[in-house]
Amino acid sequence: MAILEVNNVVKNFGGLKVLKGATLSVNKGTIVGFVGPNGSGKTTLLKIIFSLLDSDGGSIAFNGNDITGLSSHKIYRQGLSFAFQLPRLFLRMPVLDNLIIAARQQHGEGLLRSLFARRAWSNQEEMLADKVFQTLNFLELTHLAKNNTGELSGGQRKLVEIGRALMADPEMMLLDEPAAGVNPVLGKKIYQKLRILCEQGMTFLVVEHKLDMVLDFADWVYMIDHGKIMLAGPPRDVIESPDFYTTYVGEKNNASS
Amino acid sequence: MDPLVFILDALVFVGVFMLLALSLNLEFGYTGLGNFGKVAFFMVGAYIYAIAIQFGLPFYLSLVLCALVASILGALVSLPALRLREDYLAITTIAFGEIVRIIFKAEQSIAGGVWGISIPSIFRDLNLSIRMSVVANLLLVYFVVIVVFIVLQLLTNSPYGRVLRAIREDDEAVSVLGKNVIYYKVQVFMIGSAVAGLSGGLYAQYLRFIEPNMFLPLVTFFVWIMLILGGSGNNKGALVGALLVEFISRGSRILKDYVALPVDAHNVQYIMFGVLIILIIMYRPDGLVREKPLKADWIERKITHGNS
Repeated sequence: MAILEVNNVVKNFGGLKVLKGATLSVNKGTIVGFVGPNGSGKTTLLKIIFSLLDSDGGSIAFNGNDITGLSSHKIYRQGLSFAFQLPRLFLRMPVLDNLIIAARQQHGEGLLRSLFARRAWSNQEEMLADKVFQTLNFLELTHLAKNNTGELSGGQRKLVEIGRALMADPEMMLLDEPAAGVNPVLGKKIYQKLRILCEQGMTFLVVEHKLDMVLDFADWVYMIDHGKIMLAGPPRDVIESPDFYTTYVGEKNNASS
Repeated sequence: MDPLVFILDALVFVGVFMLLALSLNLEFGYTGLGNFGKVAFFMVGAYIYAIAIQFGLPFYLSLVLCALVASILGALVSLPALRLREDYLAITTIAFGEIVRIIFKAEQSIAGGVWGISIPSIFRDLNLSIRMSVVANLLLVYFVVIVVFIVLQLLTNSPYGRVLRAIREDDEAVSVLGKNVIYYKVQVFMIGSAVAGLSGGLYAQYLRFIEPNMFLPLVTFFVWIMLILGGSGNNKGALVGALLVEFISRGSRILKDYVALPVDAHNVQYIMFGVLIILIIMYRPDGLVREKPLKADWIERKITHGNS
């Protein structure tokens, strides 16, 4: 059953046609890899799905509801979350706050309830805190919990960005290169975590350049080139297809190297 | 002049400016909205108070009305302005401030135009001495300051405040996390404007006379200096900044009686502000009182628990 359906999305930046009718669908409870050369429109499509960019045509449906052009915060509330390729953290705030803010439906985030329902939201914070520390333990960042994210290294920031998306407990996540800039062991660990979440029913659309990760963890792969989906299928079929080599890897390379 | 009255009078002004600094701190210090039209809401508060008192409203209702009208105006201004980038927001709000002043100046029918408007003191019937009437105003102003300070302190140390700080850091990332950023920004603009309106009402009540030239853009810049010196992102910093700026401003006026100055005494304060701002930005860019992370007991509990 398709949870996300992207239909014929078009995007132009001035005269540059970045997406020329991209169509893809993601089944519930799967990890879908999204590959393609630099500049082929991967991130653009992800941003259009999340309404961070407006499309120039086409439609997007999530769980059967049309979400084309809906504001980002409403899309999030429908159960989709997004992690940026370059971390967009709140640098003058501690790691803890960066994570806890991503939780859904917090009582204390309304103006009046923050003032008059202190007990309700502080109880909720207490509960969310457990989840924050679980996430921190998983990402091996517990010792940095109280540091401002501005003091963290690039790789650590990337981890917080992933952690933030995980805190949201979404039905589906859009991840833009979750393992980029992270050491290989932890990168693998992130994917293993995604696999576990996937088995619990979460769905992922992941932009990824590392083909071994795609081979190991994806259920399905789309390859985009020049703004159009060129190949689709199970990872091994796509990666072993001759077209894949010519457009993406370069002719002589081997997929698993 | 009675030196004690001089000091008390200065403290009343400090209180009025503390409210303005607190309101700008909520908008800029916590939420990152550069409002350069603060004086407009201050002015609207002062005029609404004057007009309401003349209509015979009791002073507390007049003060509520100041806050209400200023916050509605804040919402109306913010709806178009908040879609702009930071620098354009600054330009738009500064223009708004001037427009409001020019309207009050040109339209004599509203509140006397250039001739200004007088307001009867609410303490008139008590037959207070000058000293006691200043004290009465002092108590009124600081009562409001304390209430506003407590409310803002609670607000900014809650999940609501956390969202505001996050908006200051990166508003697109906040909307990706499911928060309606525009909604928050409009609310903040409304609260900030309401506090500025209250401050204007108290100012009018104390001075008993207002005219448009009291509300030059300079007032806005003074509030900004308070925030830069005191420290933005911390309500205590706003209070310290207001005290410091008023102290320098008044102090420089007394100074001329004691030392022979090579420059006009009135300008000494501007020289001092310039030097202070440069020093603060070089050596303590966060201001005298730094921003503190959100207070939360659970953090301490979890961390100590986790380590044990």
